[in-house]
Amino acid sequence: MFNETVISEINEIRGKYPDRRSALLPSLYIAQREFGWLSHEAMTCVAKTLNLPEADVRGTASFYSMFKNAPVGRHVIQICTNVSCMILGAEKLVDIVGAKYGVTSGGTSEDGRFSLVIMECIGACGTAPAMLVDTDFYENLTETNILEILDKYK
Amino acid sequence: MITLTINGKEITLDKPITVLEAARQSGIKIPTLCAHEVLKPYGGCRLCVVEVERMPRLQTACTLMAADGMEVRTESETISEVRRGILEFLLINHPLDCPYCDKAGECELQDLVNKYGPTVGRHKEEKRKVAESHKDQIFSRNMERCVSCTRCVRMCSDMQGASAISMIARGTHTRMEPFTADSFNCEYCGNCLSVCPVGAILSRLSLHSYRPWQVDKEVETICSYCGVGCTLVVQVRDDAIKRVIPKMGAGINNGMLCSRGRFGYEYIGSEERLRVPLVRKNGKLEQSTWSEALGLIAEKLTEIRNTNGGKAIAGIASPRCSNEDNYVFQKFMRMTCKTNNIDSVSRTGFAAAQKYFEDLLGQGITGNLIDGLKHSETILVLGGDPTAVNPILGLAIREAARDGANIIVLGNAKGLEKFKTVQVVPPVFNEAVVLEEVLTEVFKAKGVRGERPFVDKELKLLSKRTSGKVDIEGYEELKKALLETESLSIVLGMDMVQRTDGHRTLFAVAALTYLLEARLYTLSERANEQGLIDAGCVPDMLPGGRPINISDFKVKFETVWKGTIPDEDGLTLLEIIEGTRNKDIKALYVMGENPVFNIPDGSSVKEALGNLDFMVVQDIFLTETGEMADVVLPALGWTERIGTYTNLERRIQLQKKAVESSSGMEDWRILSELSNKMEYKMKYMQAEDVMHEMAKVSPLYSELTYSEIAEGECLWPYHGEPLRGEINEVPEMLDVAGDYRADFYLALEKPLFHSGSLSRRSQALMKIYPEASLKVGAASAEKLGLTDGDKVQISTSAGSLDTSVIIEDSIKDNRVYMSNNFAGSGVFNLMKFNVDKVTKAPGIEGCEVTIKKL
Ligand code: SF4
Ligand code: SF4
Ligand code: SF4
Ligand code: FES
Ligand code: FES
Repeated sequence: MFNETVISEINEIRGKYPDRRSALLPSLYIAQREFGWLSHEAMTCVAKTLNLPEADVRGTASFYSMFKNAPVGRHVIQICTNVSCMILGAEKLVDIVGAKYGVTSGGTSEDGRFSLVIMECIGACGTAPAMLVDTDFYENLTETNILEILDKYK
Repeated sequence: MITLTINGKEITLDKPITVLEAARQSGIKIPTLCAHEVLKPYGGCRLCVVEVERMPRLQTACTLMAADGMEVRTESETISEVRRGILEFLLINHPLDCPYCDKAGECELQDLVNKYGPTVGRHKEEKRKVAESHKDQIFSRNMERCVSCTRCVRMCSDMQGASAISMIARGTHTRMEPFTADSFNCEYCGNCLSVCPVGAILSRLSLHSYRPWQVDKEVETICSYCGVGCTLVVQVRDDAIKRVIPKMGAGINNGMLCSRGRFGYEYIGSEERLRVPLVRKNGKLEQSTWSEALGLIAEKLTEIRNTNGGKAIAGIASPRCSNEDNYVFQKFMRMTCKTNNIDSVSRTGFAAAQKYFEDLLGQGITGNLIDGLKHSETILVLGGDPTAVNPILGLAIREAARDGANIIVLGNAKGLEKFKTVQVVPPVFNEAVVLEEVLTEVFKAKGVRGERPFVDKELKLLSKRTSGKVDIEGYEELKKALLETESLSIVLGMDMVQRTDGHRTLFAVAALTYLLEARLYTLSERANEQGLIDAGCVPDMLPGGRPINISDFKVKFETVWKGTIPDEDGLTLLEIIEGTRNKDIKALYVMGENPVFNIPDGSSVKEALGNLDFMVVQDIFLTETGEMADVVLPALGWTERIGTYTNLERRIQLQKKAVESSSGMEDWRILSELSNKMEYKMKYMQAEDVMHEMAKVSPLYSELTYSEIAEGECLWPYHGEPLRGEINEVPEMLDVAGDYRADFYLALEKPLFHSGSLSRRSQALMKIYPEASLKVGAASAEKLGLTDGDKVQISTSAGSLDTSVIIEDSIKDNRVYMSNNFAGSGVFNLMKFNVDKVTKAPGIEGCEVTIKKL
């Protein structure tokens, strides 16, 4: 179960909405922060805290790709390969990152450092190619700066 | 008034409904996939599109409300093309494995594609692959077939209220899954299965065992399990039940079923069924013939009756048997054996409560329709979980909750955890105290009603006794709700009756009912607990609830029955057991009951019955009691014979025959053959003859016939004359407050999935709930350092047994629960009891238990 602090954090969020169900998405983010991904245990904790059915929690959690339904590495790299980024060489970037850290799309590097997720448009077409590392946003990526950036994430 | 035209046909509606419903009402078919008559409109699949004059685009008929002047067309080339397109999209991923799919023949998608095409798909992509899941014991889940209509999910959350499944993921990956992704781990009502339009959810009980068109026979009948009496359809092939399905729009349950009703039918075909009469020879039960067995019983009973008098004979009737069986049983006991010692295991709960209520408030006080719950503003639930004991009644409470009713739970009720508005958890076994306090407040506010002198008098006495001080969470809300409510229903479970001071709770409940004009419902675990009483299987009343000690009534029966009925009231169940212990009772006749197992303190019951000179048991299985009997007779069970049942609303319904049994006889027929041998003539050729006689002699059933009952809606008080007054004098209330300071108390669990010797022989229910376990609240588990699955030894003053632990958050006090359904681990064996001197029910509260981790 969540510790007291987390429970009160969720309860506070709950207070902002007219019903419990509305507090589900923010609570899932908190669970993901606490557990690293949305395991069954994490979802059960959310269900219990919000007094919602577990199945509903899972149904919601599985709908959004920002919620992780499997364990991920310490850092999550999310590279966009949609049209603009693709034209500007995003797929090459994916290969470079893959070769350097030994990670494939949807997978995690053996040392548990990085997970790689291929994203659809993340709204940065004007400054493509773009990616997210955890919650940090990077644009105008090149074959060199992408590795420099990633090097900062241990 | 709304007038619209559909396909040129003018339709007038008196209330606003959807175009789809309007079309169906007038016999116009619109294809649908996501719509279902018991579910709310959803508008997901778009198959029901129709053209509406002056509306620019096609409209979905299932969500469009009919409006005055609307002109609707349900078929056109455009519409067909759209439907064909939708179906083509669905078939991109649908596997087309109809030859292998159980649903073929009753699949809505198959029918639709058959009608609208397409005959060839244009998509070249591979279909999605999702492995069929057999990880659940009951359901097989094939998500390649799923068309994402969400009917199952809406059924589970909006109707069943279990919310055990959901739609997972997005786009083409969308599929239905239970939370664990493997096992459903849910209430196993199977209602999701009945609404799935395709073969995505199938029952493993009948998987690949037959085709829908191979059913020889379909019989609409009622369920054999609990006191709700749901309507269901039994599908038979080769004289065996293949499947039980609900019937939408029919009966009390309107298409909903519970796990027992839907999946608990296998016991009927069990290998363990009794096939031939057994007679004890040299200490062992041996196969015998009907004539030998009946001859022996007639001889023995006649001998005991003639030597020791009728009082030395007693009979235990059965809430599983029909009205006809029970009527003939009491007549056999009274007229043939000359005894009024007739009772049933119902005395441990339902019959005790019912008698007390009717003595206080008149006959029929609990004759309330389950539907009434849905219209209640406040529902007070106490003494157990209605969603487990009477699941379909439980659904009515959940529905009321969704519509905003105030659901107040006194004590524990797992199935209402997500539906209750207030929960009051009194100190253990002190519910009566809390009820009396709140009753006093209500009495103060409402004043003397002046219709029932005894109740008025007791209320005055009570208001002097109560303290007015209660400091329990939720109590104030309870009080407020009762004082303010305009329409109250009270749902009473038997946990409150099985107390030494049970009558105090019953008084409080009766008085609340009286003061607030509430609707009162008593939960009933067995199908015919009410019918048994009405048929006269009680020691103090003749059929129709006529007291034996009022000679006018007695004489009337004696005239029709041609003989004399013994004068004195007979013994109640526990008195009968005591009578066998001290050898006043020498012969016991048990019909369809297992007293050794179903009465608390089983080993002492067994010991008492061991003193009998002669015991007869007629049943469909060889029970623990049967094993002790001198003669055991095979009876017929559910679907093997016809008979009427009276549910907890007092509605009479017909249970029909669907299969031929190779052996066994109807209970009433066994008894009448026996009676004839004992020179009291009974001339019934068929069950209906018994009903004819009941209709003639019982003032409740006057003029009732099978054809009337079969038409349905045979509701209390039928054509009868109930006794309205205070029937018997009610004994004064006793002060029997106990002191409950032990760490843990053992209590009786009433699980959703079981009901004694029947469910024990239904494989599906055994798979869902395979063995007895100890249900422990979270706080108790923490105190004991227990986690789920731990093995423990539990000991009481009566004995001990080993079991495993399941933690239930819904248990809020220091009671630990265990069921009494499994051979060898019945919790009643661990419980001693004191008798409630007023109701004569066993008080099993205060059973101190120690729990040791193994
Ligand atoms: S069986 Fe009943 S409770 Fe279980 S998932 Fe289906 S509808 Fe829900
Ligand atoms: S499993 Fe059946 S009912 Fe449920 S969404 Fe899929 S097709 Fe519809
Ligand atoms: S609620 Fe009772 S009558 Fe209805 S299906 Fe379940 S057990 Fe049978
Ligand atoms: S396409 Fe990559 S950010 Fe829009
Ligand atoms: S039936 Fe109307 S949209 Fe599915």
